[in-house]
Amino acid sequence: MILLVTGGSGCGKSTWAEAQISALEGDQRVYLATMLARDGESFRRVARHRAQRRHLGFETLECPVDIASAEIAPGSVVLLEDLVNLVANEMFEDGDVERVIPALEALAGKCRHLVMVTNDVFSDGVRYGDSVDAYLRALAKINRATAQMADCVVEVVYSIPVPLKGALP
Amino acid sequence: MKLYIGGAYQGQAELARAENPDAELFFDFHERIRRAVLEEGREPGEFARAFCREHPQAVVVADEVGSGVVPIEAEARAYRETVGRALCVVAQSAESVTRCVCGIGVRIK
Repeated sequence: MILLVTGGSGCGKSTWAEAQISALEGDQRVYLATMLARDGESFRRVARHRAQRRHLGFETLECPVDIASAEIAPGSVVLLEDLVNLVANEMFEDGDVERVIPALEALAGKCRHLVMVTNDVFSDGVRYGDSVDAYLRALAKINRATAQMADCVVEVVYSIPVPLKGALP
Repeated sequence: MKLYIGGAYQGQAELARAENPDAELFFDFHERIRRAVLEEGREPGEFARAFCREHPQAVVVADEVGSGVVPIEAEARAYRETVGRALCVVAQSAESVTRCVCGIGVRIK
């Protein structure tokens, strides 16, 4: 199953995505972490997410850019968190945003189950200038492509899952 | 406890009042969370759990604040995260959660 989870900041989407993936069957569980931790806030966030999934038996692979380079055994159960950081890293850390969609398609073809977390960053009506606008466009395109690949798309609203495509798992 | 949420001025306050004329209503709960956490230094989950214990029959009305570009300013980021963490707790203990868009309520729980 391919599941895409979206929602605003702090809406509980990580917690919900982790609960879903831990309920899915599979031998090898991989957490693909895309955030580059550089300051106290991001180290705290990484620590909080690691603590949340400690009991879930995941192997963590840090993969801030180039998802295709992650060594994932066929048939794995993968939680990719998240597309927002992946796209930002590909665009602003010497990556290549054009490789994201083909890499995700290949990953989806290889996994037994793939859960991808993204973020709704599109609804504040603010114009941030060309570079942020290019980022929003790229992320929106990738969100749409992954939603199309997905069997199920869910928006998490303050911990409540709201199905947008398919039935809730 | 019931929770009504929505973007700014989407009619969640009016809907909450109309559907719960005799209840104790708490408007602008996102501002209450901001004061408790960012000014008084409380932990968002602890604040929300204490509120739910003390006001089990409350009708809570709040704005959804997390669906924009993640701000550069640390305090603006903390505000959105904090409101989210606290409202997740309120939503979990609420018997119903209604999301309002253009004055129309969609019951999501």
